[in-house]
Amino acid sequence: MNRRTDGASGGGPALEAWEVFRQEKDGDPMRHGGSVMAPDAELAIHYAREMFGRRQESVRLWIVRRADILDLEDPDLLQPPLDRSFKKPGGYVMREKLAAAREAAGQEKPKARAR
Amino acid sequence: MTVSAPPVAGLDELLLTMADDEFVIGFSDSEWTGIAPILEEDVAMSSLSQDELGHAAALYGLLAEITNGDPDAIAYDREPDEYRHARLLDHGRGDWAMTIARRYLYETADAVRLEAVAGGSWSPLADLVGKLRREERYHQMHVDSWLARLASTPGEPRDRLVAALESLGPDAGTVFTPLAGEGDLIEAGVLARSMADLELRWRASVAAAFGPLDLPVPPATVDPDRGRIDHAEPFRWLWGEFTTVRRGDPGATW
Repeated sequence: MNRRTDGASGGGPALEAWEVFRQEKDGDPMRHGGSVMAPDAELAIHYAREMFGRRQESVRLWIVRRADILDLEDPDLLQPPLDRSFKKPGGYVMREKLAAAREAAGQEKPKARAR
Repeated sequence: MTVSAPPVAGLDELLLTMADDEFVIGFSDSEWTGIAPILEEDVAMSSLSQDELGHAAALYGLLAEITNGDPDAIAYDREPDEYRHARLLDHGRGDWAMTIARRYLYETADAVRLEAVAGGSWSPLADLVGKLRREERYHQMHVDSWLARLASTPGEPRDRLVAALESLGPDAGTVFTPLAGEGDLIEAGVLARSMADLELRWRASVAAAFGPLDLPVPPATVDPDRGRIDHAEPFRWLWGEFTTVRRGDPGATW
């Protein structure tokens, strides 16, 4: 199948990519589900619904034009070569200090949020 | 499923016509599986077709309850002449514009019919229709998008759409072919209005939508009393397709 993106062949409107994020149930984070190709926002919504929601597997979808995503993958910004271990909490153990602080305040450890 | 209320005269005919409509359009549109304009639309149209077959299965199920029948036998074991879908759905799949035009004319007519049954006195049907209408909302959104898209794109898209509407138009009103028992259904409160009344409402809604798009509204139905019989050759071909497996091994358990 010809995945036309330039609108040149066939005379139809150009397809563009839309990224789809889905929430599986209320309270869950939005997770990237995949992408669809569509000529405009209206059909992007239809196709996202069919690809990521037709089996009731989602309670919410976010559909984002890929071109609108701010893409940052510059290694100088994200993976600089110098040692950055001083920015990480390794070696600094919080657990005992936190437990002592809770005991002093008479609080119990909060339970993990129900899923 | 337990159906408690006593059947009303004419109910079997109403259920059969509604079920056959959904069944035939579902199979007809499923012919796009694998060959739709783009991959996403292929999935969308296949999913819509499955929805329609699901609606048909639920309606055949109700019919089987009140007639002590078997839903699969009703769906698959009749001869082509025994199906009671509207003549609008007898046209072959055609091109994409034909499918969109047929879906638009059928979905809008079905919506008017469902509304007239939604508050009905026979709760098994009224309850089911409440669920069908929620799913049909998306179907309507999908076909509205496509109708507007084809209508407003000059050249081949619009030309093909207009040609499809002109070809289907004389049969479009057959969804409202009068039912022999509709007087009983209205009296019993199963159906809110006569098919003739519903057709007027549908025509008003289509005219309101087609006006701004400058599309040809469907003319009066040709031979309106025979709107659900005398099925044409494209349906006989489709019947051969959708009964192939069933006829290949009658009585088999799948």
